[in-house]
Amino acid sequence: MTTLFRGRKGPLLWLLAAAALVALLAAACGGDDDSNTPTAAATTATGGSPAASSTAGTIAADVGKNDKADITGAGSTFAAPILQAWFDDYNKLVAKGVKVNYQSIGSGGGVQQYTEKTVDFGASDAPLSDAELAKAPDTLNLPFVLGSVVVTYNLDGVTKPLKFDGATVAKIYLGDIKKWNDPALTALNPGVRLPDKEIVPAYRSDGSGTSFVFTDWLSKVSPDWKSKVGTSKNPSWPAGQGGKGNEGVTTIVKQTPNSIGYVELTYALINKLPFADVKNKSGAFVTPSIETTAAAAAGVQLPADFRVSITDAEGAKAYPIASYVYALIRTSSDGCSKYRPVVNAFWWILHSKDASATASGLNYVPLPPETVAKLDPALKALKCEGQSALPQ
Amino acid sequence: MNPRSGASQLFLASEGLYRRRRLANRVMTAVMGIAAAIAVIPLFLILFYLLQKGLRGLSLDLLTQDPNRPGRPGGGVRNSIVGSGIMVGLATAIGVPIAIGCGVFLAEFGQNRAGLVIRFLVDVMAGIPSITVGLFIYGLIVLPQKQFTAFAGAVALAIILLPVVARITEEMVLLVPRSVREAAYALGAPRWKTTLRIVLPTALPGIITGVLLAVSRIAGEAAPLLFTALGNQFNSTNVFHAMDALPLRIFVYAVGPYDYWHEQAWAMSLLLVTIILFISLAVRAIFGSRVTVRQ
Repeated sequence: MTTLFRGRKGPLLWLLAAAALVALLAAACGGDDDSNTPTAAATTATGGSPAASSTAGTIAADVGKNDKADITGAGSTFAAPILQAWFDDYNKLVAKGVKVNYQSIGSGGGVQQYTEKTVDFGASDAPLSDAELAKAPDTLNLPFVLGSVVVTYNLDGVTKPLKFDGATVAKIYLGDIKKWNDPALTALNPGVRLPDKEIVPAYRSDGSGTSFVFTDWLSKVSPDWKSKVGTSKNPSWPAGQGGKGNEGVTTIVKQTPNSIGYVELTYALINKLPFADVKNKSGAFVTPSIETTAAAAAGVQLPADFRVSITDAEGAKAYPIASYVYALIRTSSDGCSKYRPVVNAFWWILHSKDASATASGLNYVPLPPETVAKLDPALKALKCEGQSALPQ
Repeated sequence: MNPRSGASQLFLASEGLYRRRRLANRVMTAVMGIAAAIAVIPLFLILFYLLQKGLRGLSLDLLTQDPNRPGRPGGGVRNSIVGSGIMVGLATAIGVPIAIGCGVFLAEFGQNRAGLVIRFLVDVMAGIPSITVGLFIYGLIVLPQKQFTAFAGAVALAIILLPVVARITEEMVLLVPRSVREAAYALGAPRWKTTLRIVLPTALPGIITGVLLAVSRIAGEAAPLLFTALGNQFNSTNVFHAMDALPLRIFVYAVGPYDYWHEQAWAMSLLLVTIILFISLAVRAIFGSRVTVRQ
């Protein structure tokens, strides 16, 4: 048992030396980074040169091109791909000194971290509620992109899109409609042979902005749903199976014959899921798309604080399960070093043609210019160190 | 009664008993063998599955490029590899000295009530779910600092590493034979010198094995980093800023909408398992027989 160390010191020492070297390298890298990437304390954020940015009284989209900052944001999973794509473009094409790190921790988490001030901005599929706003009163709920939720299903032999209305979907998720050949469903889908099989509804088990938008719509179109379940990021579902994330719901629907589920439009398009036409307020069956989602936004007046639901919107072409995605930004900040680059980055997102093109390319719906025009005064009113964050 | 026939009857009876025992022995050996085979089957299935799914996504780009923006296939996960390296290295640098000190204390000076309490607490610590450690560090470091940092992630990982290394150090130090210590005392060495110059070097190979096993465990942890290091799609080496890690990116890519994300998640899993397997094998290769404890 005498396992003495003597005589075999060689490899051991090598290993120790290697470990020490790794530690030193890591420390050195950290040090290096501090010196040549000005972050935190050393940051001097410039608001862009006035000559370039305020031609003819308007602020250029690339107002933040000379900014330097490392910024962290978190929240909405739905908005993560488009925000990360935007911030990648912004870093490579517009403001080389600005790295905006956005992590998808869910809308609920985004609101939480924003309120705790651990992130420089949050993103959420729903605006702050009154209770949430009470904890963070100086908040700008800034809509920056549109999203919609589609109803997907797994039915053998059904080739063209099914048709649903809100009352029927509510009854399916309440467990009141149990079979596919229910009279309510056959009446909506004349000519489609629906099987005599149990419907398996799939829902999001995690707190989700997608669930919020979906239940918000159901609450508007079904009084029964409103009284029994209501609108929530994490409602208590009366029937069905839960899956985590869009991915979890998709897996259930793909693997379970005769199931039904709801996911983000972007997600359904990428994964080539079938989705239903849904009846809107004016009685038309609308296929979810970039155009019909934009039409839903056009059908609703934007209030002064921008907190608005656009589900079940007016308009013949409006898709009824749509929503704005919001950035959560404080209306004023003591320091400008990280705040101004955030404001400038969102200014670029809302005003740059490149940013709009990126959104469309990823199947996201950029805000129409008329809507952006309504947001501009609120952005110009944002203040840091007692001054306006954007050039006047 | 004929004694001979009695003896032969006894012989026959014992023959039957022997056969029955031999049969029972064979059956039970077979059952244990099957159980052992079933126990290691998942390992091979995992390796096979990872190779099948992960090899396709494995490329030089994966190691040397930063992530492309979402929706644009290609790119790599250099930021995650760098981040994992920095945070695991920092966690080791923070945790190992404390853990070794704790282990030596328990073995050499812990044969009393204080030692009993600390040993119990270290065991409890080893049982704390890693997600809870992450949440604790979130409250302790992230919330007051108002910033997600790689440093916070490293501290969370160090806390997970600590009890593992402490207990292994204790075991290894206890294995150093009494005669070796006594020889040192006989030569007039004080206790501290004996511990530092004789006992620790003797136990060192075992301790390093423990450290490397603990390192391979924390290298695969995503939960403690979720609320501490957060993740970062840019390559960042600043420990006072959010940083990426391989397990975090696997988690994000696995549930993301894009096919190439899923492919890269498999490739990253393969990479992670390969690194951990390599560490385990390196431990065996370097320390060989001294790793296994013989009494």
